[in-house]
Amino acid sequence: MTLFTAFAIAGSGMAAESERLSAVASNIANANSVVTSSGAAYRAREVVFKAVSIDDGSQDPFAVGMAGVRVAGVVESAAPLRTVYDPSSTFADANGYVTMPNVNPVEEMVNMISAQQDYQANLEAFNVAKSLALRTLTI
Amino acid sequence: MTGPVDTGLAFYRQVLELRAYRQQVLTGDIANASTPGFKAVDLDFREALSAATADASTLGTSQQSGLAWLVEDPRHLRPGGDDLPRGATAAVKYQVGTPVTLDGNSVDLNQEKVAAAENAVQYEAAAGFASQVIKMLAVAINGSGSQQSSGA
Repeated sequence: MTLFTAFAIAGSGMAAESERLSAVASNIANANSVVTSSGAAYRAREVVFKAVSIDDGSQDPFAVGMAGVRVAGVVESAAPLRTVYDPSSTFADANGYVTMPNVNPVEEMVNMISAQQDYQANLEAFNVAKSLALRTLTI
Repeated sequence: MTGPVDTGLAFYRQVLELRAYRQQVLTGDIANASTPGFKAVDLDFREALSAATADASTLGTSQQSGLAWLVEDPRHLRPGGDDLPRGATAAVKYQVGTPVTLDGNSVDLNQEKVAAAENAVQYEAAAGFASQVIKMLAVAINGSGSQQSSGA
């Protein structure tokens, strides 16, 4: 039934948006992480969305009318890392500078609001499809 | 189903299926509101419905589904399949005139929400009409409607 496909599409949208929200939370939490497991400073992460056919998960992004969404990957921001002059720090280099993460709080906040709005829109679409399916049962 | 009993019902079946399909298309747009390069699409309902009803012989008998039922006689009942009416996918078109963001996405979230709400109302209306057709048939079969009206 077509409405159940709409459920699946809205569900894929909600899953993708919450993953985006996770990336934002990770970036904010690590805004001051000087050292990560790799030894370097934390770099801001960003998820990349990709349209997929909801039927068979095939790679055709523009199979008309069948487009769900999926997280295609997580990329690290290429923005330059901040440097802070703090000679007393353990992590300071020879010149006394500490390399800090390249997280931009303003950017993260905007991204968070955008993710929230998109999530709500998906939820609304899901609820509309649900009420239509319930209405069909009472014909 | 064919025959005099379902007069009018097959048409509403097409309408409901197409409305549900449009809801699916719009939901896909909303899900991809942040996908880079995604271009918003919409179902041209007028074109889809006229394509579906143009060939009257297809009314109520959508394309056979892939499932094969064991029937001994061609007049036996078969699964109708829940495939879309003919020409529905061809009526899905890219939306034009919506603003395109820097990453090449052309989904206007507000417009999509309005279209989805409007489509939902249209679906409810079609479902209501279908209910009325069934009630009408019930009145014709039972005759209860005329008794009620004479009693009132």
